[in-house]
This record gives sequence, C-alpha cells and structure tokens, in this order.
Amino acid sequence: MDSLPYYLQTIINGILAGCIYALFAMGLTLVYGVLNFVNFAHGELIMWGAYFLLLALAEPFALPLYAAVPVALGMTALLGAAMDFAVFRPLRRANRLTLLIAAIGLSFFLRNAAQLFWGAEVRTYGFEIRPGLRWLGVSLTPQQIAIIVISFLCIVGVYLLFFKSRIGKSMRALADNLDLARISGIHTRKAILSAWIISSLLAGTGGILLALDTNLHPEMGVVNLIKAFAATLIGGVGNIWGALIGGLIIGLAENIAVLFISPGYKDAVAFLIMVLILLSRPFIVAGERTD
Amino acid sequence: MDLLLHLTIVAAIYAIFALSLNLEVGYTGLFNFGHVAFFALGAYTSALLSLGGLSFPLAMSAGIVAAGLGGLIIGIPALKLQGDYFGIATLGFAEIVRMILQNQADWTKGPMGLPGIPRPELFSWQFDTLPAYLALVLGAAAVTFLVIGFLTLSPFGRVLKAIRDDETAAAILGKNPFAYKMKSFVIGSLFAGLAGVLWAHFITFISPGDFTLTETIVVLLIVVLGGKGTLWGPVVGAAVLIFFQESVRLLRLPPEWSGILGPLQQMVFGLLLVILMIFRPEGLIREKGKDTLARD
Repeated sequence: MDSLPYYLQTIINGILAGCIYALFAMGLTLVYGVLNFVNFAHGELIMWGAYFLLLALAEPFALPLYAAVPVALGMTALLGAAMDFAVFRPLRRANRLTLLIAAIGLSFFLRNAAQLFWGAEVRTYGFEIRPGLRWLGVSLTPQQIAIIVISFLCIVGVYLLFFKSRIGKSMRALADNLDLARISGIHTRKAILSAWIISSLLAGTGGILLALDTNLHPEMGVVNLIKAFAATLIGGVGNIWGALIGGLIIGLAENIAVLFISPGYKDAVAFLIMVLILLSRPFIVAGERTD
Repeated sequence: MDLLLHLTIVAAIYAIFALSLNLEVGYTGLFNFGHVAFFALGAYTSALLSLGGLSFPLAMSAGIVAAGLGGLIIGIPALKLQGDYFGIATLGFAEIVRMILQNQADWTKGPMGLPGIPRPELFSWQFDTLPAYLALVLGAAAVTFLVIGFLTLSPFGRVLKAIRDDETAAAILGKNPFAYKMKSFVIGSLFAGLAGVLWAHFITFISPGDFTLTETIVVLLIVVLGGKGTLWGPVVGAAVLIFFQESVRLLRLPPEWSGILGPLQQMVFGLLLVILMIFRPEGLIREKGKDTLARD
C-alpha cells in the first residue's frame, strides 16, 4: 500500500473533505461576522440539510435528484431563517451566556427532532457507487467530482455575492460596525436575514455533499461544527477566505493523520489542531473582539 | 419506597454535578459545554481502579484528581479564550474524552463498558443498600454544597463574579482573570469528578454512551432552570428535573415507544433551555443583587 498512488489518494481525499469543511466554515464565519456570536446550531443546519434531501428523495415525494436538491436547500434556508426569527432575534440584545445557552438548546432540540423522525441509525441516499475516473492509480467517483465542482461554484458564488453585490456590501458593513451600519441607513434586518440564508445554504450544500460521499446520521452535526470551528480559527474568525483555507487544511490534516493513527481518532485531529493554534497564536482570537 | 430512594440518590448526584457546573457557568461566566468530560474522567478512573482491586477511598480520590487534572490540562489552552470559543473548546474536549473511552479498548473495554463496579466500602462500612448509599451521596452533596457555598461567599467568589461581570475592570483592579478562572474551572472539575465517581459506583455499569453531550445538556438545564449564580438553584433544579425525568419512566409506557420517547424527552429539554433563555433567563431562583433587567 505504501506507494505513490496511495499517498496521492490520501491527498485527494483530504482535498475533498476540505472542500466540504470549507463550506461549513464559511457559513459559520459569515453569521459570526454579522451577529458576532458562534452559532452552535450550525451543525444542525448541516445535518438537516442532508436529511431534507433524504426526505425529498424518499416516498411519498420521491422527487428526482435535480428537483430534490433545490427543495432540500430551500427548506434548510427556511430552517435557518426560522431559527433566527424564533430564537436569535428575540435575544439580539441579550447577554452572551443567554444567547449561547439558547443556541446549544436549539441545537439539541433539532438533533433529537431528526432522531425522532429518522432514528439514530446511519443511512445513505442509496445511490449506487459507480466507478469514476482512474488516473495514476487514483480513483474519483462521480460524487467526488461533484463535490469539487459544486464547492468551487459555491465559493465563486460567495465571492460574487459578498464582494460584488449590494447586499454583500451591507453585510460587510454590518460585520464592521452594527450601529454605524444602522445609522448610515443600511437595512440591517435584510442583511442579517441574507446572512442566515447564505449560511444555511452553505451548510445544507455541504451536508448533502458529505452525505453523498459518506452517510447520514443525527450526530453528524456536532462533529462537523467542531471541524468548521477549527477551520475558522485557522483562518481568523470572521474571515471568509480564511475559512476556506482553514477547511482545506483540516481536511488534508485529517486524512494524512490517518496514515499514522487509528481511524477511530480521525475526528480528534481537528480538535488537536485547534488546541495547537490556541496555544501558539492566542491573539488571533483574543484580539478580534471589539464588543 | 425503593424508588423514592433511587430517585433521591440520582437527584443528589446530579445536584453535585450541577453545583460544580454552576461555579463555572453561574459564578465565573465560563461557558463550559463539555462538563460531562470531567464526570466521565471521575467515573472511569474510579471504576477501573476499583475493578483492579484498589479500595474505594483511594479509587475515589484518584477519580477526583483525574478530573481535576483533566481540567488543568484543557484549561491551559482553553481559558485563554473568550466566551464562545471556550464553549467550543470544551465541547470538543468532551468529544475527545468520549472517543478515547470508545477507542482505547485495551484500557477501557471500549464500547462494551465496565460491568460489575463494586459498591463502595469505607472504613469497613458497606454501602451496598439504597439507604446506606443515599447517606453517602447526601454526605457528599452536603460537603459540595458547603465548600462551593463557602467559596462563592468568600472574597474569592466575589472576584469570580467581578470577572464574570467585567473582566477588564477586574484585571485593572489587579486581579489575574486567568488564574481565578483556572481555579474555578479546576475546582468545578474536581466536584464533577466526585459526581462521576458516585454515579459509577451506584449504577455499577458504565459505558462511553453514558457520557455524551446529552449529560452536559441535562446538567446545564438543571443549573439554568434552578437559577445560575445562586447556591440553591442547582439543588432545586436537580430535584425538579430528575423527578420529572424519572417520572416519565414510571408511566410504564409500552416498550415500543421507547425509541420515540428518548428523543422526544430530549427535544423537550432543548426546547426548555431555549424558552427559559428567552422568557426567564434567571431561572426559578433569581440571583440576589443582580439587576436582571440590565442586559448587556
């Protein structure tokens, strides 16, 4: 096994996982930037996104994939907006502990709701795995090619939206200074809602891609929340491109680490990286906050 | 009657667990979302040592020390972080601890768990009946209550509250926030370890599945429901929540409902946290001297 294709495959797998983590991290950091808090329920958006697709694909709807995906993403965005409307908006001016406890309560609620409907067992969409590209002994399934293409499209989309559109500009203004943005006449509600919708769409897309490549289970949210968070820490919290780089680093590190450690500890790698960053560069976190 | 004893024992163990979390969350403002990790460290350390033949007082002490050490080790990187980040770091730590319990099967028997943990024996007294165990647990709860009560009413406790309310101001007044937070965190971990030890020797069977985020949520809910930053809050919260939780079990619902009932009950817990935060963030008992209208 210790040959070039094996290592190449590891790198490819790392990039694949990294693309997905980047989508999670970008969504997390986006809401953080605008509202200045870590959305503990972000993992649940990831998980529900994947389950919404399962719902749309299964009976009684049994939609074809091209119709089911937009439906699933739309429902994820709706869930994100509903979360904000029902929980976070009433707590907009509450203190941080109150907000965090509400967020973790919400995440727990949503996870168990998924477990109630679909059970705790691991599921898949049931697509057959087709042989894909083979090149230099490295194989890529169609799903994996889709992951790379779709992630790339999402990143371009985020770039256009964030830096080339009016709503992106107002989101960035909000992230800089909420009060200043408000008195300069920026429609804050609209900008906040857009941030939630984009964040949810990124989470849902990432969740679906992850579930296509691996599987679905109600716990997938928490694990990926930690990874997304580690990725945002690498890139600097609130920084969209940092989140992208951070996601790729986490994905690569995880897959490379499995060459040396037991796969049972794969999910611990992101956490270890996080601790190392915190120990070596605490200022990127401590110096960021202005409130 | 046995049932009532059983309930009181569980409630008392959770009261210890919640008192320790309240020291961190309520008094110091540390968002510890991985408190179950210290509970697990106490439970597993003591259980493994007891099964290896060590006497209960030694195994218990080792369990408590292991939890405290865990707090120290994770506290060094994590306490440098501001609120939310600390929450994620502790959440991640709890996942790692669970992963180790699950994967290091050569030490912990992995997912199979540890059956047959002996009931404690202290100075030739056997705590193998429910009333005896209740006496032991109530004693431990009283000690916890008194120690944490003493700490929080002392000048040390006032510094903790000062750091919680305004860390910068406390630092300007010459208090080292990191050192105080670390003390609060380690003491909290020690008592969480104690709760874990008492749990393991009461239930006599533990497995990694007992130490998930669910436990953290339950204990957080106890603290928040009872009233964070108050001495009696966690005790009242534990009594209310444990009696509620166990009385659901008493309804003797058909067994095929259990797959629904578990998640449903946890949905209620999550929802309760959200609703409490929106409508009554101070919980059942309100902290004295704190203006609850002033939300920062």
